[in-house]
Amino acid sequence: MSQAATDKPNSPEPKRSNGFQISRRAFLGVSAAAAAVLTVVLALKRPKLAEPVETQTTKAIDTQELIPTSCLNCPTRCAIRVRKVQTLAGETKVVRIFGNPNSAYTEGKCCSRSHVGLQVLYNPDRFQTKPLVRKPDTTKGRGVDFVNDFEESEWADAIQLIADRLTAASPDRLLILEGLNTTSNEDLIRQFALAYGTPNLFVEDGLETDADREGKMLADGRSNSWYELMSEDETESTKYILSFSAGIVESERPLARNLHLWGELRREVPNRVKVVSFDPRYSVTACRADEWLPINPGTEGALAMAIAQVIIGEGLYDSDFINNHTDGFSNYKTLAMIQSFSPDSVSQISGVDADTIRRIAREFAQSKPAIAWSGEAATSWPYGTFASHAIYCLNALVGSIDVPGGIVYQQYPPYAAMPTDGLAISDTGISFRKMADLLRDGAIDTAIGFQSNLIMSVPESREGGKWDEILKNLFYVHVGPAKSEMAAYADVILPACTYLEDWGYESAIPGSGYAEARIKQPVVEPFNESRPTARILFDLANATALAAFSPVLSTPEEFPSAFAQYRTAPFVGWADFQSAGVWEGPGYTYQKYDFATTSGKFEFHSDQLERLLNVKLPGEGTDYPLELTIYRPVLEIRSGSQNFPWAQEVYLVMHGRGWKNLVEINRETAHEYGIGEGDEVIVESVFGGIEGEARVLEGMRPGVVAIATGQGHFASGRFADGMGANPNDVIGTEYDEESGQPSFFSTRVSIRKA
Amino acid sequence: MQLSFAPVKGTSRSYKILVGVLAALVTAGVTAYAIAYLYGFRLWGINNSVTWGQLITVDFFFIGLSAGSLVVSSLVYVLGQERYKPIGRIAVFMGLLLMMGAMLTVLTDLGRAEKCFRLFLYFYLSNMKSMFAVNGIFYAGYILLLGTYLVAALSGSKLTKFIAPVAVLWAVLVHMGTGAIVGFIETRGVMYSPLKPVEFISAAFASGLALVMALSYVTLKFSKRPLNKDMYVSLGKFLAVLIIILMVLVLADKLTHFYPPKRDAVMFLIAGPWAWIFWLQVVLGYFIPLGILFNPWLRKKVGWIIAACVICVIGILFERAAIIFPGLSQPLPYYPGEIAGIWGARGSFPIMIAETLQTVGIVALLGLLYVLGLKFMELLPASEGEHAQGEPAEQAAPAAEGGHT
Amino acid sequence: MANWGMVIDLDKCVGCQACSLACKAENNVPHGSPYEQKRHQDIYWHKVIAATEGEYPSVNTQIIPMPCMHCEHPPCVNVCPSKATFKRGDGIVIQNFRRCLGCRYCIVACPYGARNFNFKDQENEEYQRPDLPPDLASEWGGLKFGAEIGPWPYPHRTRGVVEKCTYCFHRIDEALLRIENGEDIEIGVDVVPACVEACPTEARYFGDLDDPNSGVSKLLASRTYIKLREEMATSPKTIYLPR
Repeated sequence: MSQAATDKPNSPEPKRSNGFQISRRAFLGVSAAAAAVLTVVLALKRPKLAEPVETQTTKAIDTQELIPTSCLNCPTRCAIRVRKVQTLAGETKVVRIFGNPNSAYTEGKCCSRSHVGLQVLYNPDRFQTKPLVRKPDTTKGRGVDFVNDFEESEWADAIQLIADRLTAASPDRLLILEGLNTTSNEDLIRQFALAYGTPNLFVEDGLETDADREGKMLADGRSNSWYELMSEDETESTKYILSFSAGIVESERPLARNLHLWGELRREVPNRVKVVSFDPRYSVTACRADEWLPINPGTEGALAMAIAQVIIGEGLYDSDFINNHTDGFSNYKTLAMIQSFSPDSVSQISGVDADTIRRIAREFAQSKPAIAWSGEAATSWPYGTFASHAIYCLNALVGSIDVPGGIVYQQYPPYAAMPTDGLAISDTGISFRKMADLLRDGAIDTAIGFQSNLIMSVPESREGGKWDEILKNLFYVHVGPAKSEMAAYADVILPACTYLEDWGYESAIPGSGYAEARIKQPVVEPFNESRPTARILFDLANATALAAFSPVLSTPEEFPSAFAQYRTAPFVGWADFQSAGVWEGPGYTYQKYDFATTSGKFEFHSDQLERLLNVKLPGEGTDYPLELTIYRPVLEIRSGSQNFPWAQEVYLVMHGRGWKNLVEINRETAHEYGIGEGDEVIVESVFGGIEGEARVLEGMRPGVVAIATGQGHFASGRFADGMGANPNDVIGTEYDEESGQPSFFSTRVSIRKA
Repeated sequence: MQLSFAPVKGTSRSYKILVGVLAALVTAGVTAYAIAYLYGFRLWGINNSVTWGQLITVDFFFIGLSAGSLVVSSLVYVLGQERYKPIGRIAVFMGLLLMMGAMLTVLTDLGRAEKCFRLFLYFYLSNMKSMFAVNGIFYAGYILLLGTYLVAALSGSKLTKFIAPVAVLWAVLVHMGTGAIVGFIETRGVMYSPLKPVEFISAAFASGLALVMALSYVTLKFSKRPLNKDMYVSLGKFLAVLIIILMVLVLADKLTHFYPPKRDAVMFLIAGPWAWIFWLQVVLGYFIPLGILFNPWLRKKVGWIIAACVICVIGILFERAAIIFPGLSQPLPYYPGEIAGIWGARGSFPIMIAETLQTVGIVALLGLLYVLGLKFMELLPASEGEHAQGEPAEQAAPAAEGGHT
Repeated sequence: MANWGMVIDLDKCVGCQACSLACKAENNVPHGSPYEQKRHQDIYWHKVIAATEGEYPSVNTQIIPMPCMHCEHPPCVNVCPSKATFKRGDGIVIQNFRRCLGCRYCIVACPYGARNFNFKDQENEEYQRPDLPPDLASEWGGLKFGAEIGPWPYPHRTRGVVEKCTYCFHRIDEALLRIENGEDIEIGVDVVPACVEACPTEARYFGDLDDPNSGVSKLLASRTYIKLREEMATSPKTIYLPR
């Protein structure tokens, strides 16, 4: 304490001596008070040894149920069980989706997409109102305003509106678009088409499968063949899978079965399957396979013929099967042995080393049972049917037809009869080309789409493109649960419920051989004003006074369950079906060899196979030197909507990215065009351009641009709109001649920095 | 020799404008924090990679400055060096303010700030393996110590003789503890080093001394108080030595990490996307100040010395940033190879308004308290012709008092 | 007491991400948005990474699912100042959200990027999960293992705290309760975390690493196994069987 002494008598006493403007006493007082407060706080908040844990309620759940039903996020329609809980407070919530162990088809497994079902059900962009009727002078397509462009209408009125239109017109002026629907709804849609009298049923699934199916049908006359992978009794499994650009563990149906059996065939069986993947891109399947052999796009068919040449040339084919159960082999053999199909020649166009082709061919022939699997990318070409046929014939060459672990022919449940009347429509309806021609010729007035996703899935899908124009000029009725691009073009929107609120049945698609039926039963009652598609069809049929529509007498409300019950009655009791969720058919009988061809045998059709050599290689042609290939990542939800954040945020696992798709190119190609990773680029064809983010990879054949589908939405909702781009916008229309399927892969593009 | 201290009057226009501006910035900072607290830290630049941002950088910076400013005070109160006495009190006051500021940054950086009491209250019952918790104990003690130190210094008490060395040693412990927070984390290659605690305290000394020099110079100049240029020249030499020590430590650390093949962390730091921070640290923190302080002409000019001090302080701020941002941004090598997409991407750190306003606000708060302290406390040496109220100028104090002011 | 661990067979995994999605559904983990993904502020309890080496055409991508490693020597537990994250007696590294300050030191320390900070409150109605009340988790397992677990992030998870994978401890604790009540179920066979259950290729296994007869122990005995970032010496209990 410094107190400067002063001997100046008149100087005032220094007031401050401690450097503060407050007195020492005050300072001590404040400090003491602060210390006291701190002590109190410490005492109160001191740590106690056994702090009680905060609890809300001892048990919040009143009831919980596991409801068996089936998924509909892809055509596989796996059996699932859905957990629903009810709380003491009376709240109901659907919280989990699991597989159904009663399903031998998938052995109780379901794939990643099935979990998205929760977001399908609780999609915030579902239609929450009654049917919507478009107001006049509003814009269809991009820029649609689902709130203000439409007026809400009573169900009865909307149905009547459509019915009036249908009764006024000639039946063949109606086009029915069938997106991904339950088997039961598919049956009802077909029945409606038959009863009404229109042959114009377009099944959108055909956009990716028609050419492949046609190629197979050429050989065996059947549309129900597929790769068994493992016999039901698990004694036999495929030993060799030759994948021709097939996304076996990403997109090929039946996906959950493929995934489950992948695990078994790779690790659980004594003889591990060898998987070889021919693919222009290092797909997930190629990554998981034993060998990835990069190829030029569109050369799968030629490769198959080169392999056939080796197998035939070295006498490695299954002569027993060939001699006894096939027709046309000698012509096929002659063609297969031509110089152009030699491994050396095919090596030039495909990019696979000739010795590798020979080695693979030998391995394939000597690992029984072996299968050759043709992917969508192999068959979506102008010669797609023949690429499929050539690949399919490899299975015959090595004796894999109708044998355990090879190709089997799917059995279906023996459903009760549907009233059939008038025209017969094939399971696959009309071809894409036929539909396009009808629309171009103005032969269609009205279209009704059931879960349709057409505008996103067709080539030339861009704004101002051919399909945009067609749909704008068409009276279109959209039946679906949520906002979608097709709904954006609708004149009438009928809100359907989602698959978790629906009644019905599902048939297992080709894969197991033995039949399997799965129930669809509502986990919850349809939300808001939505109704089951079956009920909508029933009401529409009544309003249109269609006589031979329903095989059961029922009220409209009961019809969906009554129909399903009626159809499944011949093979399963309704109560059993509801509790088990699944019905299993009898075991599969192999080597039936009952082919539906003119010769009654497996037919080798070789007359057009030389077209497989008409490939256009990357680099040829100056303006558009690159080949565009599209692919479906596993998290593309095949119902057409992508408005599901769980799927969106991890969309591309190989690229660690979500919420968009990427323009994937090889590092050399990128370097050639001065493009770096992450650059904004424009991909252009003669049909238009799209913008995207570049992804520079090692895992891509140079000269190829790959873009995942499933993005580029503009009317599906907050989690999908404006994200990524739709590669179909730049793809032009070319057809596979035989099947009329669009040749998605033959559009050439250029790429440049934006 | 008797040295008396007097507050500033604080009535001039420029003083009031300064207070006003600082108060406005503080208000903006408080508002920014309130909004960030309610809306969540998505408003900040931080994310799940670079999970510490501006506030923790400034936290480390301030703790260092606080510890370092005690260097000057230790020269006065420990070593009894009379010639630095004019800035001794400022140094202690700055030490306390900077530490309080550091606590404010770290507490407002917490996701659940209302639970901050856990860091201080539970003491040894917290997880003593966690350097955060251990430092909580250090910091609490340190602030109490600084408060006592300041009171003792302002009242010229004899206790400063005992408190000062304890305070300085505790300051070293505090900032070495801070260094341990990052130095002990093996996951982050840029951070992991046994030298970090020593590097931190060395950086603290250099930057703290530099800040005391610069701030005291500016304060004395603007309040027209006696300014001893020789004091600054000698402190400048001391600063140069401290910077050299720091530079040697940093060099040793980086060389050690560079030597073995596993050098991806240090390469990311000095040649990666954040390399500019490291090089600003080196150039601004070491090269330029040393260039000035070793230059035979410049090192005698106080203006240049103070410029070197300011540049050094900024450079040391970048040193703290160089630990946080490259340290956390470097992608974790879960598996050999290039990890695609978001999982393998380096962390980004955008400058966001809410976080920046808050940081600026806290700095402004310290400035405001400093400026107000000048007015309400006897921190500055009294000017010639002016003296502690009531005291005649140039009155020699009785030797018995020991001249402890 | 058990020492829970997980074994993931990278040879079977096909990167379908059913595990990631099932985890989100089971634990009510919020989804992000394009902006949050760009900012890296979204929450993933489980991630699947793709690590690529090699040059065209010899490319090698490893697809690796990564839940929390539940290390024997967890760096996150070491650095948590308020003991909000701790290792249970049965080896599960778990959080007490009541204690979490949100200091994010654990995120700094985790070598596997397993931890996520809540940068915002989630919209209530979307994440309302009435079946996951706090006490269901803590009543049994928490007190049993001598440490309080405290409230869960659900039904109302809060901003400002850090969360991560828990090996679905709520399933394990419920199973332990059922076993004590006499039910004949086995954890690791009948009761497993959601990711293990959801994997279609059956690439994931769960069980007691300290039991030499458990499925996981036998798997580890029969194959080469690797641990991620082994040089960190964290001894992760999520162990991988390479191709």
